[in-house]
Amino acid sequence: MIIFEDVHFAYDQIYPALRGVSLQIDDGESIAVMGTNGAGKTTLIKHMNGLLRPDQGRVIVNGVDAREKSVAELSRTVGLVWQNPDHQLFLDTVEKEIMFGLRNLGYTADEAEERCHRTLTQLGLEHLAERSPFALSGGERKRVALASVLATEPDVLALDEPTIGQDAGQKERLAKMLREMNYEGKTVIVVTHDIEFAVDHFSRTIAMAAGIIIADGPTHDVLSNDLVLEACSLTPPQMTVTARALHQVFPEIPQRLTHLDELEDVILKIVGGEG
Amino acid sequence: MRLSFLEVFRYTRVDSVIHRLDPRAKLVMSTVGAIVSLMFLDIIPLVIILCVLIPLLAAAKSLRRWARSMKGLGALIVFIMVFNTLYSTSPTPFSYSLSLALRLVALMTSFSLFFLTVHPDELSQALIQMHVRFEFAFAMSMAMRYVPTLGQEAYAIMDAQKARGVELDKGNLLRRIRNIVPIIVPLIIVSIRRALSVAESMESRGFGACENRTYMEELHFTRRDWLVVAISLSIAILSICVRVWWGLPAWMLWKFPF
Amino acid sequence: MALIEWQDFSFKYLGANTLALKHLNLSIEEGEYVVVTGPSGCGKTTLCRTINGLVPQFHRGYIAGHVIVDSRDTRDHTVAQMASIVGLVFQNPANQLVTLSVEKEIAFGPENLGVPPDEIRRRVEEMIDAFDLHHLRDKHPHEMSGGEQQRVALAATLALKPKILVADEPTSNLDPQSAERILELIAEQNRRGMTVVLVEHRLDIVAKDASRIVLMNEGSVVADGPPHEVLQMDICEEIGVGVPKAVQLYKRLLANGVRLGRVPLTGSELAMLVKEAATG
Repeated sequence: MIIFEDVHFAYDQIYPALRGVSLQIDDGESIAVMGTNGAGKTTLIKHMNGLLRPDQGRVIVNGVDAREKSVAELSRTVGLVWQNPDHQLFLDTVEKEIMFGLRNLGYTADEAEERCHRTLTQLGLEHLAERSPFALSGGERKRVALASVLATEPDVLALDEPTIGQDAGQKERLAKMLREMNYEGKTVIVVTHDIEFAVDHFSRTIAMAAGIIIADGPTHDVLSNDLVLEACSLTPPQMTVTARALHQVFPEIPQRLTHLDELEDVILKIVGGEG
Repeated sequence: MRLSFLEVFRYTRVDSVIHRLDPRAKLVMSTVGAIVSLMFLDIIPLVIILCVLIPLLAAAKSLRRWARSMKGLGALIVFIMVFNTLYSTSPTPFSYSLSLALRLVALMTSFSLFFLTVHPDELSQALIQMHVRFEFAFAMSMAMRYVPTLGQEAYAIMDAQKARGVELDKGNLLRRIRNIVPIIVPLIIVSIRRALSVAESMESRGFGACENRTYMEELHFTRRDWLVVAISLSIAILSICVRVWWGLPAWMLWKFPF
Repeated sequence: MALIEWQDFSFKYLGANTLALKHLNLSIEEGEYVVVTGPSGCGKTTLCRTINGLVPQFHRGYIAGHVIVDSRDTRDHTVAQMASIVGLVFQNPANQLVTLSVEKEIAFGPENLGVPPDEIRRRVEEMIDAFDLHHLRDKHPHEMSGGEQQRVALAATLALKPKILVADEPTSNLDPQSAERILELIAEQNRRGMTVVLVEHRLDIVAKDASRIVLMNEGSVVADGPPHEVLQMDICEEIGVGVPKAVQLYKRLLANGVRLGRVPLTGSELAMLVKEAATG
């Protein structure tokens, strides 16, 4: 469980990034965090593993004030996966990369090896264990970076823009993996501006603008709100556009539909009824 | 990150008489200022030099930035003065250390006169028109363009590695040096990948297509520029004559009796 | 003859195990707006680079066949020589801005080609007007958002007055609103006569403007035709391409026995077709 109590933070104490953020994230939730660049999304998740500390207010992770723990300690609970895997890869083999984080975070050699192999298998990377990370393709490097975080089996997984540059198939596989983690009880938080991805896979959305949270609730509600979309530089999800267009013609269709299934049913009813 | 004395070397968009001078004229001006500063180690001449340079900075509307960077130098100046006053073998150690401090300030001020009033693009163009190869001049301005980007990248890398348990501010000297590896290696790799990407974009826009590259803005010397060069060179010659043959007049050799 | 033609073209990057492009036979006529899409690794990025010669001149490897662009064989011309015919916009905006101001960036291309200074100045002003860059004129790339940077990159590329605009996933790193703006600017260029080849995943935005969609997988073209034909093919979902939801709905309705007038490419089109089907 993660709690933010009226957190204020400014970079170099001059550039405000969070201006009074309060929220509560329970175990097992799946949340999308959306907003423009500079809205504070990345700043928010950096407070969860201690990379940044609030100037005012508190961040409480699993009942303990984050200030009392080091980044290394918090990283065992909150795993952050970055957008660019190249920001962390520096060792000769994939296996060493994953062992590196595990050993730093305090696992014994045996525990580390066991977790390492488990994670490699889970992500389909066993055949690449002895390869140099630099020789791998972009997608493979992303999986190695993800593996190095998953190996520590954090309770909370926070991903920063994981869908950039990914094709539809890769996004589906990612969503499936995140869903499985959810089923295991892990909390999944994704910072993204991919509205379709958020609508399709996350039950709760936190929308931010200029350092404050402007909306926090069920994804369908938050992302149907035009003011929120505008403030976050987002465009309405495809299905909302369709629903609205249909509403113009058939006022009985609610404007707020965002799922393919819902729209299919509604249209079948209209056409079936009169056809 | 707060290396404020480096502020002196950063250009900002201001318009003034000095800014409008050709960068090559300013190069002559600053070089002469530096040379003359190095020629004298007496208090009065150095003060005179500063009395010439500082009004020029004022004309360039850059006094505040210059002052800020001098503040940054403050610690160094105090150190020089204290050290030399205590250990100098000169009969008047304080005067000697004051001269040294003044000389340092004069040197920095000469250079800041150049760097505060010359835009990197102008410097690049000046080098090109002085027959430096385009590729080198361009590499210099590209380096400046990517400095903030590289800085940002370095911070992102530090964050990523901290989250994996790398502790950058702990441990003895050896440990800290070893901890640079997880930062430097990704930084180099990322920079190489970026370089390839940038190269693709540049080639796609014709970089290296022909030897006779044209330039949208060319530098042209005006009468004012020639005047500046003439005055600077005259001062240089005068100073050399004084230093080598004529010697300074007595009143200029005054110093504190301690 | 077609403006761009791949004649049995194959390419393998140095050190790679498989062919990036396999016996490609494709042609693109002047004025077309071709969207190329496919899963990661299908060869679409390599395809873009064959048009202006980066493949094979910059990216070395094994090559077979020919690519003829505006009657020039890319084997016999340097990338710089192709620069005035083909403009290439890349995915990462920051890596395309190499100078310290927008003016200099737009001037960069023409300067490289030896265009006279007055003409360069004229083109810079033209591009600043066309892409609404007045307020960004003196800005350093670091002071601009991703969307602004990409607009500048587009302007800088078009300053060379190419016949063909190739864009390789130009909106990947942008927020949705900036993405739409860039894609609209590109569609506008096509309406004015520019031949456009665009690699893009967001088919829901570009399908309505494209004249043709080329679907690639594992180095070969697996489908090629007008959007409404290609997008309803099952192979799209099989290989992992993001089909616009309007088309997905069309197919689901079809599976339920409801056939709409034509394949819709946008939500509003779908609404119109449903209305026709309901009242017709």
